[in-house]
Amino acid sequence: MDLYVPILVLAVLAGGFAIFSVAIAPFTGPKRWNRAKLDAYECGIEPTPQPVGGGRFPLKYMVTAMLFIVFDIEIIFLYPWAVSFAPELNDAGQAIAPGLGLFALVEMLLFIVTVLAAYAYVWRRKGLDWD
Amino acid sequence: MNSIPAPTIEYGTLAPLLVVFGAAIIGVLVEAFAPRYLRKAIHVPLTLLSLAGAFALVLVQVLRGQVSTTASAVGALAVDGPSLFIWGVILVLSFVCVLLINDEGHFVASAAAVPGSADEEEAESAGGGHTEVYPLVLFAVGGMLLFPASHDLLMMFVALEVMSLPLYLLCGLARRRRLLSQEASMKYFLLGAFSSAFFLYGTAMIYGYAGTVSLPGINQALARGAALDPLLMIGLAMLGVGLMFKIGAAPFQAWKPDVYQGAPTPITALMASGTLVAAVGAVLRVFWVGLGNLDWNWRPVIWGVAALTMIVGSILAITQTDIKRMLAYSSIAHAGFLLVGVMATFGTAEQNASSLKAILFYLAVYGITTVGAFAVVTLVRDPGGEAGHLSRWAGLGKRAPMLAGVFAFFLLAFAGIPLTSGFFGKYAVFAAALDSGTQPGDSMGGWMAALVVVGVVASAIAAFFYVRVIVLMFFSEPSADGPAIAVPSMGTVTVIAVSLLVTVGVGLYPESVLGVADDAARSLFIR
Amino acid sequence: MTTHYLILSGLLFAIGAMGVLIRRNAIVVFMCVELMLNACNLAFVTFSRQVGNLEGQIIAFFVMVVAAAEVVVGLAIIVTIFRTRRSASVDDANLLKY
Repeated sequence: MDLYVPILVLAVLAGGFAIFSVAIAPFTGPKRWNRAKLDAYECGIEPTPQPVGGGRFPLKYMVTAMLFIVFDIEIIFLYPWAVSFAPELNDAGQAIAPGLGLFALVEMLLFIVTVLAAYAYVWRRKGLDWD
Repeated sequence: MNSIPAPTIEYGTLAPLLVVFGAAIIGVLVEAFAPRYLRKAIHVPLTLLSLAGAFALVLVQVLRGQVSTTASAVGALAVDGPSLFIWGVILVLSFVCVLLINDEGHFVASAAAVPGSADEEEAESAGGGHTEVYPLVLFAVGGMLLFPASHDLLMMFVALEVMSLPLYLLCGLARRRRLLSQEASMKYFLLGAFSSAFFLYGTAMIYGYAGTVSLPGINQALARGAALDPLLMIGLAMLGVGLMFKIGAAPFQAWKPDVYQGAPTPITALMASGTLVAAVGAVLRVFWVGLGNLDWNWRPVIWGVAALTMIVGSILAITQTDIKRMLAYSSIAHAGFLLVGVMATFGTAEQNASSLKAILFYLAVYGITTVGAFAVVTLVRDPGGEAGHLSRWAGLGKRAPMLAGVFAFFLLAFAGIPLTSGFFGKYAVFAAALDSGTQPGDSMGGWMAALVVVGVVASAIAAFFYVRVIVLMFFSEPSADGPAIAVPSMGTVTVIAVSLLVTVGVGLYPESVLGVADDAARSLFIR
Repeated sequence: MTTHYLILSGLLFAIGAMGVLIRRNAIVVFMCVELMLNACNLAFVTFSRQVGNLEGQIIAFFVMVVAAAEVVVGLAIIVTIFRTRRSASVDDANLLKY
């Protein structure tokens, strides 16, 4: 059973976070009701009537998509890192292979700082603002 | 499950790389947090200091005799003698190019503003250009350092992209003639991405054949495996396409004139010098370290590519009417001469060392002369930007004898006239190629001599169009509304002076650089 | 059984390469390049299975990241040129020649 305790803890934490976020939002968030908010959901903006045959998307979508792709894909390196970070244990709980330890932690922090440098640039240059 | 041991990383050996990339990331942060008026004042010293610092770190390794003889970073990078020499050359060239980039008026104030729109006028009147240029250049230089030092094909692919992606963007940032610049950027990008996909598929095929992408691993697999495996042949051909594209060898040279003409001239200088040096270094490493056991297979192909490149470059240069396009074709021809050197890395260790020395020497002197020539091009201006058309250069010798004289000298160095550095570069490469042909057991034998003959003929054709420009500058009347000669800034003067000094100095005392190249080549690539 | 995957990867690569050569819209050309990179990924993962080491899978990760970076740079360039010319056709990019 012990094996499942971390999963349970994680489930409780995740559920707690979800409930907390939903519960706290009415008290802390700004309340500006408008037509768009009550309408069918389309990224928080008023649905625009499309011309026949599609028409063009505003460029802003493209910028957002580009930023999303480039920051999203960096996560890919965290998976193999996370898998081989901790020491590998056998059933008796003895380490049969050393983990990557402090070295990998520092390297991954450096990697994340590098990505954050680009993020800081986007943020400061108003790449994250919609208007 | 396989466990992965924590890798060891030789920080001392890789310090030059880390300095350049570190400075690039700091540059991004400067862009993020520094106010607009301060940015350039921070970027310029940061960029120059990091390049100089990286060069100093290279020197420290060489002078203390600590050139590593094993691959670094768990076999991903090989910082051996030739690598360090190439790093030194790239760092010097990029330092000089940054001086040129630093000049006002090369880069657009706002790349996002549509040419001719009110946005553009507003950005123009606010003054300044994109300061993102500096971190982008540093990233590109970092990629150039990684590229020839890559010890496996994955590292090489990543380095190729780290080098190319910033350059694609930099090409599109010219302040004048923005349509040309954007078009150059798009063409470079689409063709570059196309060719890197070929490089990658070639890598995949070779991985399938050898079970590894490490260059020495591939060489060992070649020694024991079936040499006519279709996987290997497809992989080799596709890998070759990717690499030949990067050095601009025929028949993959089409991008070079367009991109060189459209890009801002300081960036053209960086591409024509730094990228070529890095790419030739990578070609040498792949063919010598990775495919050394297959040389009877790739050498005939490279023979054809080299001959075609020299001829195409020289002949098409004659028909050019734009000075930057002409220099681009000249760069293609020089890539061909360098491939002659690549052909000669065959046989015994001494033969390899001597041809490697010739190529390293050629790269160093050709790179610096190129930067000087493009620096001169930035100074001859029309109202709408640089005076590109050759007819505008007519009679320049009467209006600006100094400038025209310096340019003529650079052209003579390209042509390989004795007493210039270019002569010794060509001589060394051709001599190495002839030597290689006489080595016992060389499958190419007399073909090497034939290639040298092609090279000499191509040089003669090339000399014709260089001399034609000189005649145009000195022996024709200047037109009344000729181009203005911009007053050069300190940076540009320094660039031209350094290039001139090196071109003259090495022309008179080639031993100085040859000695260093010899030391670097003696240790050969780590195999 | 890996042969089928290799054939598929070869086909995808060929489709991508043909697309680059015959399509006229820069965005489509660019998507074809991405298709070629994904064909490479498939080949790497297949070979990884075939030769029995993990190197190929690691390479696929790197290729994905590089491809994403390439997408961003490429789209930025194509969008800029489209805004200037109101056209993303590679045939219209004809100022630089000979």
